[in-house]
Amino acid sequence: MRTEPIQPTRHARVLRPQEEWKEIIAIYLYLAGMGAGSYIIGAIINWFINPSRLIPIWGFPLDMAKVALLWGPILVAIGAPFLILDLGIKKRFLYACLNPKTSWVARGFLILSIFIVFGVVLLAKSVLPFEWLRAEAPFWYVAEVITIIFAFATAFYTGILLKATKSIPLWNTYLLPLLFLISALSTGSMAIILSTLGTSLLSLDSAALKILMGGEQILVVIEGIVLFLYLSRRYKASEQGKDSVRLLLFGEKKLLFWGGVVLLGFIFPVVLENISSLTHGNAVLIFAAGLILLCGGFFLRLGVLSAGIREQIPMQRLMEIKYELRTTKIKEN
Amino acid sequence: MEQKVLVVDQQKCTGCRLCELVCSVHHTGSSNPSRSRIKVVKWEDVGVYLPMTCNHCEKAYCVEVCPTKACHREPENNNRVVIDKNLCIGCRTCIVACPFGHPFFDVQERVTVKCDFCDGDPKCVAFCDMKAVAYVDADMIQVPKKREAATKFIESLKQLR
Repeated sequence: MRTEPIQPTRHARVLRPQEEWKEIIAIYLYLAGMGAGSYIIGAIINWFINPSRLIPIWGFPLDMAKVALLWGPILVAIGAPFLILDLGIKKRFLYACLNPKTSWVARGFLILSIFIVFGVVLLAKSVLPFEWLRAEAPFWYVAEVITIIFAFATAFYTGILLKATKSIPLWNTYLLPLLFLISALSTGSMAIILSTLGTSLLSLDSAALKILMGGEQILVVIEGIVLFLYLSRRYKASEQGKDSVRLLLFGEKKLLFWGGVVLLGFIFPVVLENISSLTHGNAVLIFAAGLILLCGGFFLRLGVLSAGIREQIPMQRLMEIKYELRTTKIKEN
Repeated sequence: MEQKVLVVDQQKCTGCRLCELVCSVHHTGSSNPSRSRIKVVKWEDVGVYLPMTCNHCEKAYCVEVCPTKACHREPENNNRVVIDKNLCIGCRTCIVACPFGHPFFDVQERVTVKCDFCDGDPKCVAFCDMKAVAYVDADMIQVPKKREAATKFIESLKQLR
Protein backbone atom coordinates (compact mmCIF):
# COMPACT_ATOMS: atom_id res chain seq x y z
CA MET A 1 0.00 0.00 0.00
CA ARG A 2 1.34 3.40 -0.92
CA THR A 3 1.48 5.84 1.99
CA GLU A 4 0.50 9.48 1.69
CA PRO A 5 3.29 12.04 2.20
CA ILE A 6 3.18 13.90 5.52
CA GLN A 7 3.53 17.29 3.89
CA PRO A 8 1.99 17.17 0.44
CA THR A 9 3.04 20.74 -0.38
CA ARG A 10 6.68 19.66 -0.35
CA HIS A 11 6.02 17.62 -3.43
CA ALA A 12 4.58 20.62 -5.20
CA ARG A 13 6.87 22.27 -7.71
CA VAL A 14 7.68 25.86 -6.82
CA LEU A 15 8.21 28.05 -9.88
CA ARG A 16 11.60 29.71 -9.42
CA PRO A 17 12.51 32.29 -12.06
CA GLN A 18 16.04 33.57 -12.61
CA GLU A 19 17.16 36.27 -10.20
CA GLU A 20 20.36 37.48 -11.83
CA TRP A 21 18.84 40.12 -14.08
CA LYS A 22 16.31 42.30 -12.32
CA GLU A 23 14.93 45.86 -12.34
CA ILE A 24 18.20 47.56 -13.31
CA ILE A 25 18.49 45.51 -16.49
CA ALA A 26 14.78 46.12 -17.17
CA ILE A 27 15.37 49.90 -16.92
CA TYR A 28 18.34 49.56 -19.27
CA LEU A 29 16.38 47.54 -21.84
CA TYR A 30 13.44 49.93 -21.56
CA LEU A 31 15.40 53.16 -21.98
CA ALA A 32 17.51 51.70 -24.81
CA GLY A 33 14.36 50.49 -26.59
CA MET A 34 12.38 53.67 -26.04
CA GLY A 35 15.31 55.89 -27.08
CA ALA A 36 15.90 53.93 -30.26
CA GLY A 37 12.17 53.84 -31.07
CA SER A 38 11.70 57.55 -30.50
CA TYR A 39 14.73 58.30 -32.70
CA ILE A 40 13.29 56.18 -35.53
CA ILE A 41 9.88 57.91 -35.35
CA GLY A 42 11.43 61.35 -34.82
CA ALA A 43 13.84 60.96 -37.73
CA ILE A 44 10.99 59.90 -40.05
CA ILE A 45 8.93 62.97 -39.03
CA ASN A 46 12.03 65.14 -39.46
CA TRP A 47 12.57 63.82 -42.99
CA PHE A 48 8.99 64.30 -44.16
CA ILE A 49 7.88 67.43 -42.29
CA ASN A 50 11.22 69.00 -41.26
CA PRO A 51 9.74 71.32 -38.63
CA SER A 52 11.80 74.13 -37.20
CA ARG A 53 11.23 76.38 -34.19
CA LEU A 54 14.08 78.62 -33.11
CA ILE A 55 13.96 79.55 -29.44
CA PRO A 56 16.77 81.67 -27.99
CA ILE A 57 18.40 80.12 -24.96
CA TRP A 58 21.27 82.08 -23.35
CA GLY A 59 21.48 84.21 -26.46
CA PHE A 60 21.73 81.27 -28.87
CA PRO A 61 18.74 80.56 -31.13
CA LEU A 62 18.39 76.79 -30.64
CA ASP A 63 16.06 74.69 -32.79
CA MET A 64 13.79 73.15 -30.15
CA ALA A 65 11.72 71.29 -32.74
CA LYS A 66 14.72 69.11 -33.54
CA VAL A 67 15.38 68.54 -29.84
CA ALA A 68 11.84 67.25 -29.40
CA LEU A 69 12.22 64.88 -32.37
CA LEU A 70 15.80 63.64 -32.10
CA TRP A 71 16.39 63.27 -28.37
CA GLY A 72 16.37 59.44 -28.52
CA PRO A 73 20.15 58.97 -28.25
CA ILE A 74 20.09 60.98 -25.01
CA LEU A 75 17.61 58.46 -23.56
CA VAL A 76 19.85 55.58 -24.63
CA ALA A 77 22.83 57.39 -23.11
CA ILE A 78 20.89 57.67 -19.84
CA GLY A 79 19.98 53.96 -20.02
CA ALA A 80 23.48 52.63 -20.74
CA PRO A 81 24.91 53.51 -17.28
CA PHE A 82 22.25 51.26 -15.75
CA LEU A 83 24.03 48.29 -17.33
CA ILE A 84 27.26 49.49 -15.75
CA LEU A 85 25.42 49.91 -12.44
CA ASP A 86 24.50 46.22 -12.55
CA LEU A 87 28.11 45.05 -12.97
CA GLY A 88 30.03 43.47 -10.11
CA ILE A 89 33.13 45.60 -10.73
CA LYS A 90 31.86 48.81 -12.32
CA LYS A 91 35.21 50.38 -13.15
CA ARG A 92 35.95 47.52 -15.56
CA PHE A 93 32.96 48.34 -17.78
CA LEU A 94 35.18 49.11 -20.79
CA TYR A 95 36.24 45.43 -20.86
CA ALA A 96 32.67 44.62 -21.94
CA CYS A 97 33.49 45.04 -25.64
CA LEU A 98 36.38 42.54 -25.79
CA ASN A 99 34.47 39.58 -27.24
CA PRO A 100 32.08 40.80 -29.98
CA LYS A 101 32.71 37.59 -31.91
CA THR A 102 30.30 35.51 -29.83
CA SER A 103 28.92 37.65 -27.00
CA TRP A 104 25.78 39.72 -27.46
CA VAL A 105 26.61 41.86 -24.43
CA ALA A 106 29.82 42.94 -26.20
CA ARG A 107 27.99 43.47 -29.51
CA GLY A 108 25.36 45.51 -27.70
CA PHE A 109 28.03 47.64 -26.10
CA LEU A 110 29.35 48.49 -29.58
CA ILE A 111 25.88 48.96 -31.15
CA LEU A 112 24.75 51.31 -28.37
CA SER A 113 28.02 53.24 -28.41
CA ILE A 114 27.85 53.83 -32.17
CA PHE A 115 24.16 54.81 -31.96
CA ILE A 116 24.76 57.22 -29.08
CA VAL A 117 27.79 58.86 -30.76
CA PHE A 118 26.17 59.28 -34.19
CA GLY A 119 22.81 60.25 -32.68
CA VAL A 120 24.26 62.91 -30.41
CA VAL A 121 26.38 64.34 -33.27
CA LEU A 122 23.29 64.55 -35.51
CA LEU A 123 21.25 66.10 -32.69
CA ALA A 124 23.97 68.71 -32.14
CA LYS A 125 24.15 69.37 -35.88
CA SER A 126 20.38 69.90 -36.11
CA VAL A 127 20.01 71.99 -32.97
CA LEU A 128 23.06 74.25 -32.84
CA PRO A 129 22.72 77.55 -34.70
CA PHE A 130 26.07 77.46 -36.51
CA GLU A 131 25.73 77.89 -40.26
CA TRP A 132 28.76 75.77 -41.13
CA LEU A 133 27.07 72.83 -39.38
CA ARG A 134 23.93 73.26 -41.46
CA ALA A 135 25.76 72.72 -44.75
CA GLU A 136 24.16 69.79 -46.60
CA ALA A 137 27.03 67.44 -47.24
CA PRO A 138 26.78 63.76 -48.30
CA PHE A 139 28.45 62.90 -44.98
CA TRP A 140 25.33 63.94 -43.05
CA TYR A 141 23.04 61.77 -45.21
CA VAL A 142 25.33 58.79 -44.61
CA ALA A 143 25.39 59.59 -40.89
CA GLU A 144 21.58 59.74 -40.80
CA VAL A 145 21.26 56.37 -42.54
CA ILE A 146 23.85 54.81 -40.22
CA THR A 147 22.05 56.20 -37.16
CA ILE A 148 18.67 54.86 -38.32
CA ILE A 149 20.20 51.43 -38.94
CA PHE A 150 21.81 51.41 -35.51
CA ALA A 151 18.57 52.67 -33.94
CA PHE A 152 16.81 49.57 -35.35
CA ALA A 153 19.76 47.45 -34.21
CA THR A 154 19.49 48.88 -30.69
CA ALA A 155 15.75 48.20 -30.49
CA PHE A 156 16.29 44.63 -31.77
CA TYR A 157 19.32 44.09 -29.57
CA THR A 158 17.32 44.56 -26.37
CA GLY A 159 15.39 41.41 -27.29
CA ILE A 160 18.31 39.53 -28.81
CA LEU A 161 20.30 39.94 -25.58
CA LEU A 162 17.65 37.86 -23.86
CA LYS A 163 17.14 35.54 -26.84
CA ALA A 164 20.85 34.63 -26.71
CA THR A 165 20.18 32.93 -23.37
CA LYS A 166 19.29 29.52 -24.72
CA SER A 167 18.65 27.88 -21.37
CA ILE A 168 15.59 30.01 -20.61
CA PRO A 169 12.75 28.88 -22.93
CA LEU A 170 10.62 32.00 -22.31
CA TRP A 171 13.31 34.16 -23.94
CA ASN A 172 14.60 31.79 -26.60
CA THR A 173 12.43 32.91 -29.52
CA TYR A 174 12.63 35.45 -32.34
CA LEU A 175 9.22 36.77 -31.31
CA LEU A 176 10.86 38.41 -28.28
CA PRO A 177 13.12 40.80 -30.28
CA LEU A 178 10.09 41.51 -32.50
CA LEU A 179 7.93 42.25 -29.46
CA PHE A 180 10.59 44.52 -27.99
CA LEU A 181 11.04 46.30 -31.35
CA ILE A 182 7.31 47.02 -31.65
CA SER A 183 7.16 48.04 -28.00
CA ALA A 184 10.18 50.31 -28.62
CA LEU A 185 8.37 51.93 -31.56
CA SER A 186 5.09 52.40 -29.63
CA THR A 187 6.77 53.80 -26.49
CA GLY A 188 9.13 55.84 -28.70
CA SER A 189 6.28 57.38 -30.68
CA MET A 190 4.50 58.18 -27.42
CA ALA A 191 7.70 59.82 -26.12
CA ILE A 192 7.77 61.92 -29.31
CA ILE A 193 4.10 62.88 -28.86
CA LEU A 194 4.76 63.91 -25.25
CA SER A 195 7.86 65.91 -26.12
CA THR A 196 6.22 67.70 -29.06
CA LEU A 197 3.24 68.54 -26.82
CA GLY A 198 5.68 69.79 -24.19
CA THR A 199 7.38 72.13 -26.65
CA SER A 200 4.00 72.96 -28.25
CA LEU A 201 5.49 72.06 -31.60
CA LEU A 202 2.32 70.40 -32.81
CA SER A 203 -1.03 71.95 -32.02
CA LEU A 204 -3.53 69.64 -30.37
CA ASP A 205 -5.81 69.27 -33.39
CA SER A 206 -3.13 69.29 -36.08
CA ALA A 207 -3.15 66.60 -38.74
CA ALA A 208 0.41 65.55 -37.93
CA LEU A 209 -0.46 64.80 -34.31
CA LYS A 210 -3.56 62.86 -35.36
CA ILE A 211 -1.52 60.73 -37.76
CA LEU A 212 1.11 60.16 -35.06
CA MET A 213 -1.47 59.15 -32.49
CA GLY A 214 -3.28 56.92 -34.98
CA GLY A 215 0.01 55.22 -35.84
CA GLU A 216 0.80 54.86 -32.17
CA GLN A 217 -2.54 53.16 -31.51
CA ILE A 218 -1.98 50.78 -34.43
CA LEU A 219 1.44 49.94 -32.96
CA VAL A 220 -0.15 49.22 -29.57
CA VAL A 221 -2.65 46.86 -31.22
CA ILE A 222 0.12 45.08 -33.17
CA GLU A 223 2.13 44.85 -29.94
CA GLY A 224 -0.82 43.22 -28.22
CA ILE A 225 -1.16 40.65 -31.01
CA VAL A 226 2.58 39.88 -30.92
CA LEU A 227 2.47 39.58 -27.12
CA PHE A 228 -0.40 37.10 -27.40
CA LEU A 229 1.45 35.10 -30.09
CA TYR A 230 4.66 35.21 -28.05
CA LEU A 231 3.05 33.94 -24.85
CA SER A 232 0.97 31.26 -26.59
CA ARG A 233 4.00 29.96 -28.51
CA ARG A 234 6.12 29.91 -25.36
CA TYR A 235 3.34 28.11 -23.49
CA LYS A 236 3.58 25.29 -26.00
CA ALA A 237 7.38 25.39 -26.39
CA SER A 238 8.53 23.40 -23.38
CA GLU A 239 7.63 22.59 -19.82
CA GLN A 240 9.62 25.51 -18.41
CA GLY A 241 8.21 27.84 -21.07
CA LYS A 242 4.76 26.79 -19.91
CA ASP A 243 5.78 27.38 -16.29
CA SER A 244 7.06 30.86 -17.14
CA VAL A 245 3.81 31.83 -18.85
CA ARG A 246 1.77 30.42 -15.98
CA LEU A 247 3.93 32.32 -13.48
CA LEU A 248 3.33 35.51 -15.44
CA LEU A 249 -0.39 35.04 -16.08
CA PHE A 250 -1.68 33.26 -13.00
CA GLY A 251 1.23 32.99 -10.56
CA GLU A 252 3.28 35.35 -8.45
CA LYS A 253 3.69 37.89 -11.26
CA LYS A 254 0.03 38.14 -12.23
CA LEU A 255 -0.33 41.65 -10.76
CA LEU A 256 2.68 42.82 -12.75
CA PHE A 257 1.30 41.29 -15.95
CA TRP A 258 -2.42 42.09 -15.76
CA GLY A 259 -1.98 45.41 -13.94
CA GLY A 260 1.32 46.66 -15.31
CA VAL A 261 1.44 45.26 -18.83
CA VAL A 262 -2.18 44.74 -19.92
CA LEU A 263 -3.95 47.58 -18.08
CA LEU A 264 -1.22 50.23 -18.12
CA GLY A 265 0.41 49.23 -21.38
CA PHE A 266 -2.59 48.46 -23.56
CA ILE A 267 -6.06 49.17 -22.23
CA PHE A 268 -5.73 52.53 -20.38
CA PRO A 269 -3.74 54.37 -23.09
CA VAL A 270 -6.05 53.30 -25.91
CA VAL A 271 -9.16 54.21 -23.89
CA LEU A 272 -7.74 57.57 -22.78
CA GLU A 273 -6.56 58.45 -26.27
CA ASN A 274 -9.98 57.68 -27.71
CA ILE A 275 -11.66 59.81 -25.02
CA SER A 276 -9.22 62.64 -25.76
CA SER A 277 -9.95 62.44 -29.49
CA LEU A 278 -13.66 62.70 -28.67
CA THR A 279 -12.98 65.84 -26.63
CA HIS A 280 -10.96 67.38 -29.52
CA GLY A 281 -7.54 66.62 -28.13
CA ASN A 282 -7.54 67.16 -24.41
CA ALA A 283 -3.84 67.67 -23.59
CA VAL A 284 -4.16 66.37 -20.02
CA LEU A 285 -5.70 63.11 -21.22
CA ILE A 286 -3.01 62.65 -23.86
CA PHE A 287 -0.32 63.30 -21.25
CA ALA A 288 -1.92 60.81 -18.87
CA ALA A 289 -2.26 58.20 -21.64
CA GLY A 290 1.39 58.77 -22.64
CA LEU A 291 2.79 58.44 -19.14
CA ILE A 292 0.71 55.32 -18.48
CA LEU A 293 1.84 53.75 -21.77
CA LEU A 294 5.48 54.47 -20.95
CA CYS A 295 5.03 52.76 -17.55
CA GLY A 296 3.44 49.79 -19.37
CA GLY A 297 6.49 49.50 -21.63
CA PHE A 298 8.74 49.25 -18.60
CA PHE A 299 6.54 46.64 -16.91
CA LEU A 300 6.57 44.56 -20.12
CA ARG A 301 10.37 44.28 -19.92
CA LEU A 302 10.29 43.70 -16.18
CA GLY A 303 7.64 40.99 -16.56
CA VAL A 304 9.53 39.13 -19.30
CA LEU A 305 12.78 39.37 -17.31
CA SER A 306 11.35 38.31 -13.97
CA ALA A 307 9.38 35.32 -15.32
CA GLY A 308 12.33 33.62 -17.03
CA ILE A 309 12.50 30.08 -15.65
CA ARG A 310 15.59 28.09 -16.49
CA GLU A 311 15.30 24.79 -18.34
CA GLN A 312 15.53 21.93 -15.89
CA ILE A 313 18.93 20.36 -15.34
CA PRO A 314 18.93 16.83 -16.86
CA MET A 315 20.26 15.31 -13.65
CA GLN A 316 17.50 16.89 -11.58
CA ARG A 317 14.92 15.60 -14.04
CA LEU A 318 16.40 12.13 -13.77
CA MET A 319 16.23 12.32 -9.98
CA GLU A 320 12.60 13.41 -10.08
CA ILE A 321 11.63 10.58 -12.41
CA LYS A 322 13.66 8.00 -10.49
CA TYR A 323 12.30 8.87 -7.06
CA GLU A 324 8.84 10.07 -8.19
CA LEU A 325 9.47 13.48 -6.69
CA ARG A 326 7.11 15.15 -9.11
CA THR A 327 3.37 15.03 -8.69
CA THR A 328 0.81 16.38 -11.07
CA LYS A 329 -0.12 19.11 -8.61
CA ILE A 330 1.70 22.36 -9.28
CA LYS A 331 1.91 25.06 -6.68
CA GLU A 332 1.44 28.44 -8.25
CA ASN A 333 1.78 30.66 -5.21
CA MET B 1 47.21 13.86 -22.29
CA GLU B 2 44.04 12.15 -21.13
CA GLN B 3 41.25 14.52 -20.24
CA LYS B 4 40.01 14.06 -16.71
CA VAL B 5 36.58 14.99 -15.38
CA LEU B 6 34.72 15.11 -12.09
CA VAL B 7 32.17 12.32 -11.79
CA VAL B 8 29.46 12.27 -9.15
CA ASP B 9 27.86 9.10 -7.79
CA GLN B 10 24.64 10.39 -6.33
CA GLN B 11 23.84 7.12 -4.57
CA LYS B 12 26.94 7.42 -2.39
CA CYS B 13 26.36 11.05 -1.37
CA THR B 14 25.10 11.55 2.19
CA GLY B 15 24.59 15.30 1.84
CA CYS B 16 27.24 16.20 4.46
CA ARG B 17 28.40 19.17 2.34
CA LEU B 18 32.03 18.70 3.36
CA CYS B 19 32.93 19.20 -0.32
CA GLU B 20 31.39 22.69 -0.21
CA LEU B 21 33.40 23.58 2.88
CA VAL B 22 36.78 22.37 1.60
CA CYS B 23 36.14 24.00 -1.77
CA SER B 24 35.44 27.35 -0.18
CA VAL B 25 38.45 27.06 2.18
CA HIS B 26 40.74 26.14 -0.73
CA HIS B 27 39.57 28.91 -3.05
CA THR B 28 38.67 31.76 -0.71
CA GLY B 29 40.31 30.94 2.63
CA SER B 30 36.95 31.14 4.39
CA SER B 31 34.81 28.20 5.48
CA ASN B 32 31.73 29.59 3.80
CA PRO B 33 29.75 27.11 1.70
CA SER B 34 27.95 29.92 -0.09
CA ARG B 35 31.28 30.81 -1.76
CA SER B 36 31.96 27.23 -2.81
CA ARG B 37 32.29 26.08 -6.44
CA ILE B 38 30.36 22.86 -5.79
CA LYS B 39 26.78 22.80 -4.55
CA VAL B 40 24.82 19.88 -3.11
CA VAL B 41 21.24 19.93 -4.34
CA LYS B 42 19.01 18.31 -1.74
CA TRP B 43 15.61 16.65 -1.64
CA GLU B 44 15.52 16.32 2.15
CA ASP B 45 12.07 14.75 2.32
CA VAL B 46 13.17 11.70 0.36
CA GLY B 47 16.85 11.75 1.32
CA VAL B 48 18.31 12.37 -2.12
CA TYR B 49 21.46 14.45 -2.45
CA LEU B 50 23.12 15.46 -5.69
CA PRO B 51 26.47 17.30 -5.70
CA MET B 52 26.48 19.63 -8.70
CA THR B 53 29.61 21.07 -10.21
CA CYS B 54 30.77 22.48 -13.53
CA ASN B 55 30.64 20.04 -16.44
CA HIS B 56 33.25 21.94 -18.48
CA CYS B 57 30.91 21.43 -21.47
CA GLU B 58 32.38 20.93 -24.94
CA LYS B 59 30.08 23.66 -26.26
CA ALA B 60 30.20 25.93 -23.23
CA TYR B 61 27.53 28.65 -23.24
CA CYS B 62 29.39 30.57 -20.53
CA VAL B 63 32.43 30.92 -22.83
CA GLU B 64 30.17 31.97 -25.70
CA VAL B 65 28.30 34.71 -23.85
CA CYS B 66 31.18 36.17 -21.81
CA PRO B 67 31.69 39.72 -23.12
CA THR B 68 35.26 40.03 -21.85
CA LYS B 69 36.75 36.60 -22.67
CA ALA B 70 37.29 36.19 -18.92
CA CYS B 71 35.47 32.86 -19.17
CA HIS B 72 37.69 30.82 -21.46
CA ARG B 73 38.84 27.30 -22.24
CA GLU B 74 42.35 26.09 -21.50
CA PRO B 75 43.04 23.26 -23.97
CA GLU B 76 46.56 22.84 -22.63
CA ASN B 77 45.29 22.42 -19.08
CA ASN B 78 42.91 19.44 -19.12
CA ASN B 79 40.62 21.32 -21.55
CA ARG B 80 38.98 22.98 -18.56
CA VAL B 81 36.78 26.09 -18.64
CA VAL B 82 37.95 28.75 -16.21
CA ILE B 83 37.16 32.38 -15.36
CA ASP B 84 39.98 34.91 -15.22
CA LYS B 85 39.24 36.99 -12.12
CA ASN B 86 41.25 39.93 -13.45
CA LEU B 87 39.10 40.18 -16.58
CA CYS B 88 35.67 39.37 -15.13
CA ILE B 89 33.40 42.40 -14.77
CA GLY B 90 30.68 40.58 -12.81
CA CYS B 91 27.95 40.96 -15.43
CA ARG B 92 26.53 37.49 -14.52
CA THR B 93 25.64 36.74 -18.14
CA CYS B 94 27.38 33.35 -17.79
CA ILE B 95 25.21 32.50 -14.77
CA VAL B 96 22.05 33.25 -16.75
CA ALA B 97 23.34 31.32 -19.76
CA CYS B 98 24.51 28.12 -18.02
CA PRO B 99 21.84 25.39 -18.28
CA PHE B 100 23.31 23.74 -15.17
CA GLY B 101 23.17 26.92 -13.08
CA HIS B 102 26.81 26.55 -12.28
CA PRO B 103 28.98 29.68 -12.26
CA PHE B 104 28.35 31.46 -8.98
CA PHE B 105 28.55 35.14 -8.15
CA ASP B 106 31.00 35.76 -5.31
CA VAL B 107 29.44 38.64 -3.38
CA GLN B 108 32.72 39.50 -1.67
CA GLU B 109 35.01 39.55 -4.69
CA ARG B 110 32.18 40.89 -6.94
CA VAL B 111 33.12 38.51 -9.76
CA THR B 112 31.77 35.21 -11.06
CA VAL B 113 33.61 32.08 -9.97
CA LYS B 114 33.51 28.47 -11.12
CA CYS B 115 35.13 25.09 -10.66
CA ASP B 116 38.71 24.89 -11.99
CA PHE B 117 39.49 21.29 -10.86
CA CYS B 118 41.73 22.91 -8.17
CA ASP B 119 44.55 22.91 -10.77
CA GLY B 120 44.46 19.13 -11.15
CA ASP B 121 43.95 18.10 -7.51
CA PRO B 122 40.23 18.59 -6.69
CA LYS B 123 39.79 19.07 -2.96
CA CYS B 124 36.19 17.82 -3.03
CA VAL B 125 37.48 14.46 -4.28
CA ALA B 126 40.30 14.32 -1.71
CA PHE B 127 38.02 15.06 1.24
CA CYS B 128 34.82 13.18 0.31
CA ASP B 129 34.56 10.37 2.86
CA MET B 130 31.99 8.45 0.85
CA LYS B 131 33.94 8.77 -2.42
CA ALA B 132 30.82 10.17 -4.05
CA VAL B 133 32.93 12.54 -6.16
CA ALA B 134 35.71 11.09 -8.30
CA TYR B 135 38.27 12.64 -10.64
CA VAL B 136 38.69 10.13 -13.46
CA ASP B 137 39.68 9.91 -17.11
CA ALA B 138 36.87 11.01 -19.35
CA ASP B 139 37.00 7.68 -21.20
CA MET B 140 36.52 5.76 -17.98
CA ILE B 141 33.35 7.33 -16.64
CA GLN B 142 31.10 4.65 -18.13
CA VAL B 143 33.10 1.73 -16.71
CA PRO B 144 31.22 1.39 -13.37
CA LYS B 145 27.88 1.53 -15.20
CA LYS B 146 29.04 -1.09 -17.70
CA ARG B 147 30.26 -3.28 -14.86
CA GLU B 148 26.92 -2.93 -13.10
CA ALA B 149 25.03 -3.82 -16.28
CA ALA B 150 27.29 -6.81 -16.90
CA THR B 151 26.78 -8.06 -13.34
CA LYS B 152 23.01 -7.81 -13.75
CA PHE B 153 23.23 -9.66 -17.06
CA ILE B 154 25.27 -12.48 -15.50
CA GLU B 155 22.80 -12.76 -12.62
CA SER B 156 19.84 -12.98 -14.98
CA LEU B 157 21.66 -15.62 -17.02
CA LYS B 158 22.26 -17.61 -13.83
CA GLN B 159 18.56 -17.42 -12.99
CA LEU B 160 17.70 -18.73 -16.45
CA ARG B 161 19.91 -21.76 -15.92
